Amino acid sequence: MPIDRRLLLYINWPLFGLALILFLMGVLNLYSASGTRLEEGMNMAPYYHRQLLWGFMGVFAMVLFMFFDYRHLKTLAWPMFWTTVCFLIAVFLVGKTIYGARRWLDLGFMNFQPSEMAKIAVLLVGARILSKEREPLDFIRLGYVLGVGLILAGLIIKQPDLGSGLSIIMILGGMILFRGVTPRVFKTALVAIPALLPLSWFFLHDYQKQRIMTFLDPTTDPLGAGYHIIQSEIAIGSGGFWGKGFLQGTQSQLRFLPERHTDFAVAVFGEEWGFVGTMILLSLFCIFLYQMLVIARDARGLFGSYLAAGVFFYFFWQILINTGMVLGLMPVVGIPLPFISYGGSATLVNFCLVGLVLNVSMRRFLFKQA
Amino acid sequence: MSDLYSETDQQPPRSGLLLLQALILGLFCLFAIRLWYLQIHKGEEYALKARDNQLRQESIFSPRGLIRDRNGELLAVNEPAYALSIIREDCPDIDRLIHQIAMWTGKDYFALKTLYNKNKKRVKPFEPLIVIPDLTYNQLALIDTNKVRWPGLEIQFRPRRLYRYGTLFAHVLGYVAEANEEEMGKQPELALGDNVGKQGIEYMLEDRMRGIKGRMQYEVDVTGRRLQERIIKHPRAGHEISLSLDLGLQKLAMDWLSEEAGGVAVMDADTGQLWALATAPSYNSNDFSSGLTPEQWAALRDNPLHPMQNRVIQSVYPPGSIFKHVVAGAGLHYGMLDPNETVHCGGAIKLGRSIFRCWRRGGHGKVNLEKALVQSCDVYFYKMGKKLTVDRMSEFAKAVGFGQKTGIRLPHEKSGNIPTREWKRKRFGESWQGGDNLNMAIGQGFTLVTPLQVVRFFGGVLNGGKLLKPLLLKDEKTVVQAEIPLKPYQLGLIKRALIQTVQDDHGTCRRIRTKDVVVGGKTGTAQVVRLTDELKKLKDDQIPYRFRDHAWMAAIAEKDGRRFAIAVLVEHGLHGGSGAGPIVKAVIDYLFYGKVTPKPEERKAKARAARALSYKPKKKKVKTNAN
Repeated sequence: MPIDRRLLLYINWPLFGLALILFLMGVLNLYSASGTRLEEGMNMAPYYHRQLLWGFMGVFAMVLFMFFDYRHLKTLAWPMFWTTVCFLIAVFLVGKTIYGARRWLDLGFMNFQPSEMAKIAVLLVGARILSKEREPLDFIRLGYVLGVGLILAGLIIKQPDLGSGLSIIMILGGMILFRGVTPRVFKTALVAIPALLPLSWFFLHDYQKQRIMTFLDPTTDPLGAGYHIIQSEIAIGSGGFWGKGFLQGTQSQLRFLPERHTDFAVAVFGEEWGFVGTMILLSLFCIFLYQMLVIARDARGLFGSYLAAGVFFYFFWQILINTGMVLGLMPVVGIPLPFISYGGSATLVNFCLVGLVLNVSMRRFLFKQA
Repeated sequence: MSDLYSETDQQPPRSGLLLLQALILGLFCLFAIRLWYLQIHKGEEYALKARDNQLRQESIFSPRGLIRDRNGELLAVNEPAYALSIIREDCPDIDRLIHQIAMWTGKDYFALKTLYNKNKKRVKPFEPLIVIPDLTYNQLALIDTNKVRWPGLEIQFRPRRLYRYGTLFAHVLGYVAEANEEEMGKQPELALGDNVGKQGIEYMLEDRMRGIKGRMQYEVDVTGRRLQERIIKHPRAGHEISLSLDLGLQKLAMDWLSEEAGGVAVMDADTGQLWALATAPSYNSNDFSSGLTPEQWAALRDNPLHPMQNRVIQSVYPPGSIFKHVVAGAGLHYGMLDPNETVHCGGAIKLGRSIFRCWRRGGHGKVNLEKALVQSCDVYFYKMGKKLTVDRMSEFAKAVGFGQKTGIRLPHEKSGNIPTREWKRKRFGESWQGGDNLNMAIGQGFTLVTPLQVVRFFGGVLNGGKLLKPLLLKDEKTVVQAEIPLKPYQLGLIKRALIQTVQDDHGTCRRIRTKDVVVGGKTGTAQVVRLTDELKKLKDDQIPYRFRDHAWMAAIAEKDGRRFAIAVLVEHGLHGGSGAGPIVKAVIDYLFYGKVTPKPEERKAKARAARALSYKPKKKKVKTNAN
């Protein structure tokens, strides 16, 4: 099938560009965060090298994801779902344990995290189920959708990886809200969710409770869990209006900031680029998100629309939670910031999803020609 | 394919979109406000804090409480020690640093590396990770001058426990050593490398002895070099403790025990306070403070004399003749003994087909209770035992504190054993025999006691019947644990017999007679094995050390209202009188006249020779080395 020239015409170039710009900013930031210091006898520099490598693969994957017709994914949704489930179970059987959690599959040349794949699977299956009819969801359909999501989320939370598990639920939840529910469902949820939240406290691990407690008062444990929050605020705050300049952040250079290359990458950014830089970064993310909403709105057909909405929520929650955490507005949970934080599988998936949304945007007028 | 395009050409609802757009915008605004607050409103403040962030904190170690003897002499103190530690975050190349440390200290690189890897997960960011807990002065000097070139390397000051009389009090004080995983789990205030009490008083009173750690804040520059220090929480030293033990007496007792294996317990008969609790051989408490080397540990563990064993409370022995007073007490208590009634001792008694001999082959002739105790006539007590049977003897023995722990404030106390019919059935699957009664009556057989139980009982005989809890701390209140169930005149009979044993010219304890001091005593010989006839023919000196009998002596001494009970046990010391007696005598001289009688050299040499004889030399492995 020759590529229709109009396809290129309808690509949402701002989104395409933003993904690249954000990624490059991330690499730059990572370069600064890894500094030139050696740590544990190992140079941290490979972090940005590897990130660049993953980025190249990501961009390639993004382009791949743009150029087949996304509607094929509808038929792929269920096979993809079951494959993911198999992978997740495989993790339990032959998974690699890193930091006490079984999350990785050793593929020989790299470690692969099936929970990232699950995020794509939930998007596809969610979009497929939700696009079947137009009526707002009643309890039965809602239960069906949620059940599918809970299979994936449950397997991931068991690993244990609460962050990824919850993001699956949140992505699906966002899509459901986007699709709309009956007033009865809405009212019930309005009552039930706040009522169930305190219950979930009992399912949390002690360290997770501890994190929430220290979030409420970080000074209670200044060298333990509160340490991250305090150090992160200091790093960002000390950046001031203009920032200390690239590679000049003392907090990150002095290694006060833990996990500065992953979850707390923005703190390094805030310290070195100041208010101006961080506002620019946030604005870029804002436009990035807005573009996806536009695509969801203009998509031709419900499937594409929900797909784009799902991707929107995928990014939206991560940005919300990570930034909120780094700015001291939310408890510390291990959720990275798309494109800015270090992470191989995550970067790859981020690009793939952007590609998917671009795919939807490209084909919004296709029907008229078909 | 048809499925792909079958979808209706409908558009998604737009109502939610507006809401989401507003949400993004709102969130953006919220983050912007927060950023403005952090970076502009409070920017200056955080910039200052960032500079302050070169501030770090560190624990200041608190010294453990001092330990003194009853006269205020210091027994355990704290001396300065220097630990070498690594602050990971400052260290550019851990591997090279560990190599360097290995070179400086002569320790094995891989051992250090393993230790580092094990501990690194358990140390908070910027907290020092201790690699060498105790630097020698040479190492300290060498490393201190080179420290500047190695960022991340730190020398920490911390108090180290020093026992001024390392071996004298080892079994009472115990020792301190690095806290293990389990202890750290139980007590969150413990950090890696902290010392805790592991044995003895140090273990039992750990909470009182350990102080509260302080905290220090200091500023560092970009390379991690320290600039300024400030104490933000002062450390609090642990509580001071005064033992009831007397340094001089303990020293004397240990000196007399030297080269022997055995124990000495001296108890104030009115308060229960112990003035000496000596056990030999001993070990040095100080060896543990900075960690035993594997060789040191192996030497302690493999020593056939078990120097870690506290023989006063953890070793159990047959009491021998000193048990006769307990049997006499039982006879009086149950009204089965008339103290004036005499028994004929012809040197042996027949029970069934067995013959039970008195220690004096010729017999004692006519003996009443007092004479039987003074001259330790076995036949008299064989008859007593036959009459009383195990039931009454064991009931009475338990009532006067045998077969149960004394509750002294030391870990791992043994309770000994007072046999009963059921006990024997359970233990051996045999029923109690008539002969067992006879054996029990002279303190042989299944009865096992600790020297501490003995001293408590004789203290009770001396003080009018109160069995006191043995105390180790000077400020502890006297605890009456039980009363000896005897009428005052009956107790008086036993006490008089004890004194006569010393005063009478036929008594077995003549050698502990002391001018102006009322002294009473009883010797005992505890059979280790039933000697074969062959061995019996040998002279004492020729019996192999490990077959020789244990020597007991229990004594009471009173002068000017000061009353003491003393128990001495010398393993394989052959005879109570000659083996344990001189020690008792030296103790009494010290207690009432302050006289320090050192152990005669020839006695030491004899003990050494006796033990040397009994050791089977280990076969040395012959190295098959070609060169």
